Amino acid sequence: MISVSGLSRCFGSRTALDSVSVTMPRGAVYGLVGANGAGKTTLIKHVLGLLRAESGSVRVFGLDPVADPVAVLSRIGYLSEENDLPGWMRLDELLRYSRAFYSSWDDDYAEVLRQSFDLDLAAKIKTLSKGQKARVGLLIALAYRPELLVLDEPSSGLDPIVRRDILGAVMRTIADEGRTVLFSSHLLDEVELVADHVTMISQGRIVLSAPLAAVKQLHGGASLQEIFVAHVGAAAAPPADA
Amino acid sequence: MRSPAAAIAWEFRQHHRWGWIALAGYLLVLATVRLLIFEPGQRVEFDDGESVAFVLAVPLTTTFLYFLAVFSYGLAGDLAARQSMYPARMFALPVTTTALAGWPMLYGTVAMALLWLATRLLAAWPSGVDVPMIWPALLAASMLAWLQALTWMPYPLPGLRVIVTVLWLTVIDAIVFTAIEYQAPEGVMLALLAPHLPLAFLVARVAIARARRGDVPDWQGIFGQALKPSSPRFLRRDHFRSPARAQFWFEWRRHGWSLPALVGMVLPFELALLFGFSDTPVIVFETLLAVLLTPPFMAAFAAARVSQSNPHGHDAHGLAPFVSTRPLSSPSLIAAKLTATIWSAFAAWLLVLAAIPLALQFAGALPMVLDRARQGIDIVGTPRAIVIVLLVIAGLMAATWKQLVQGLYIGLTGREWAVKSSVFVTLSFLAVLGPLVHWIIDNGNVQAVLWDAIPSILAVLVGVKMSAAAWIAVRLYDSRLLSDRMLLTGAASWCVAVLALYGVLAWILSVPFLPRYLPALIAILAMPLVRLSAAPLALSWNRHR
Repeated sequence: MISVSGLSRCFGSRTALDSVSVTMPRGAVYGLVGANGAGKTTLIKHVLGLLRAESGSVRVFGLDPVADPVAVLSRIGYLSEENDLPGWMRLDELLRYSRAFYSSWDDDYAEVLRQSFDLDLAAKIKTLSKGQKARVGLLIALAYRPELLVLDEPSSGLDPIVRRDILGAVMRTIADEGRTVLFSSHLLDEVELVADHVTMISQGRIVLSAPLAAVKQLHGGASLQEIFVAHVGAAAAPPADA
Repeated sequence: MRSPAAAIAWEFRQHHRWGWIALAGYLLVLATVRLLIFEPGQRVEFDDGESVAFVLAVPLTTTFLYFLAVFSYGLAGDLAARQSMYPARMFALPVTTTALAGWPMLYGTVAMALLWLATRLLAAWPSGVDVPMIWPALLAASMLAWLQALTWMPYPLPGLRVIVTVLWLTVIDAIVFTAIEYQAPEGVMLALLAPHLPLAFLVARVAIARARRGDVPDWQGIFGQALKPSSPRFLRRDHFRSPARAQFWFEWRRHGWSLPALVGMVLPFELALLFGFSDTPVIVFETLLAVLLTPPFMAAFAAARVSQSNPHGHDAHGLAPFVSTRPLSSPSLIAAKLTATIWSAFAAWLLVLAAIPLALQFAGALPMVLDRARQGIDIVGTPRAIVIVLLVIAGLMAATWKQLVQGLYIGLTGREWAVKSSVFVTLSFLAVLGPLVHWIIDNGNVQAVLWDAIPSILAVLVGVKMSAAAWIAVRLYDSRLLSDRMLLTGAASWCVAVLALYGVLAWILSVPFLPRYLPALIAILAMPLVRLSAAPLALSWNRHR
């Protein structure tokens, strides 16, 4: 589903990604973990085609997301860390606008999600709280049942109830057979809860990429936090819960 | 740093250090020329002293514009937004509002005064004209102070800042130029200008106090019902027929109403003149001319919103992830923008064309205007008069649309340096243009040379335009942004439009002494091509960084 090979990216003199190679087959939850600035968002932006590979290659569904953005993006659900939904829209307008882009948009499913997230259709996006905005972002990322769900630090700065909703969304997506989730976070306990496969990134390099169960077995059942510290070092390890 | 004053000064110095270094270098060169090469007391005669002084002063005129942007914090904010352009991060500093307003104003005033003194001492001397010492410095400082006060003020409507600032600075300029016209002495000029600094400071203090406590009035709700939901009727359906329609709706709602709203705000003030001077033909026709030029003029301000996709994001010039992850190709995103701008220009002109006859009728000036129109028809004939009127309206509508979209290729790059450099270059060009035109008007020989060279100049411009177009076409082809069919269709449509315009121009300008190729060159130059075709490349560069 996602194939990244020898991907490098520099911003000025800073190397954000250094010869990253990773493959993510269909039908699993991939937890991408790393400290702030490790390169998680940069890698995700390459997957979405928002950054052009300086060297190496990125393929999603076998396609180049830069050369063929329409084919790739129409199959991806994306929740941005920035949560930049247009504040001037009402929720009903946002749903109406978003559904035009996806042939697989499911109105009934969107309504189920809206009710479970307790969102008012007439509310303007800019009047919503941060948690409500995250739920709206999640709703429009899920309502067309995308083949690949990409969540970039979705829990960052949110309360436990919204974080529960996000994890629930990941679970729901997994329940749909053959769908894939790429989930970046520095909250290791959350990743540990839902991920099948964990990829650790530090200073632009992949330091570990393996099934979570195998990783834990290899480290004698240690927690992901302990494994992360062992591979990356305590200085770069994120807090247990931000 | 032990005081807020020193910290604010340090920020100005550090943030713009390369600008200061460039200015210092230029002043050093000027001082060297003035003090060492042309020794003190030695009389120097130039063939054309005014021209030399003009050339020497051009970089300093540009510096004046640069200072306006630096000291108003205009390089970092969104001119069209309702929110204050004063950096919000500074509101949290443990500093009084008076200090927040006062120090940048004081530094700006001192910088402007020094800039004028430098211009007078180091650049104006070859002209031999006795340039006043004090009041021009005070004028420059007052202009900056008002610009600071008006840009730091929160406004109830987007875009209102631009209108208020332009109008108020124009009023100050008009007062000063009237005083110059009547040869007012230095004392009168000082008396006219001196109150501006304290007044502007008081306004700036109020502006920052309001911005600091988050007091941003919002009249969008009042105008919202009238303006925002005015989506074209065919869009008001349960579902959009296609992604392209949805994106067009998005663009229309985001910026489509900006131009009609701006024009709608200015029109009543302009047309009000008709009621006071309906018996004075000159004022009536000047007012009508101003009204007709309002949409293209206002379009230049509305254009900033068209290219911005993320005005409130941390990267105001970049493409918002929400937009860049739409499953639409970059040319489709551009097409939605272009369609929305066509509707926007159309709506603005509908407003103008409806308001003019109504205002003329109610002001009682309609009979006089119709009478003049009949006289015109008698001279040129009915068919030609109708075509000329239609052409003028179509030309102005096209100019309005062109103003909205011609800067897209810069804004869509998403690079702050590109956007700000283009603004700076444009302002510098405008600053140079005035004196240049004045110089040409005063110089008969130059006029004669230019008149003879018009065909060559146009031919060179056409060559440059077509070379740039060819380069962009190759880039578009290589990047596969547009299909071969779309490229060919675009090129063919452009050729047809040029031929049509050429036909009309050849018919209107059918006089014996005018060569046939001249309308062709004008038609090629007038039809938008290069900047418009560069827009997909710019967006793609922004979207896939």
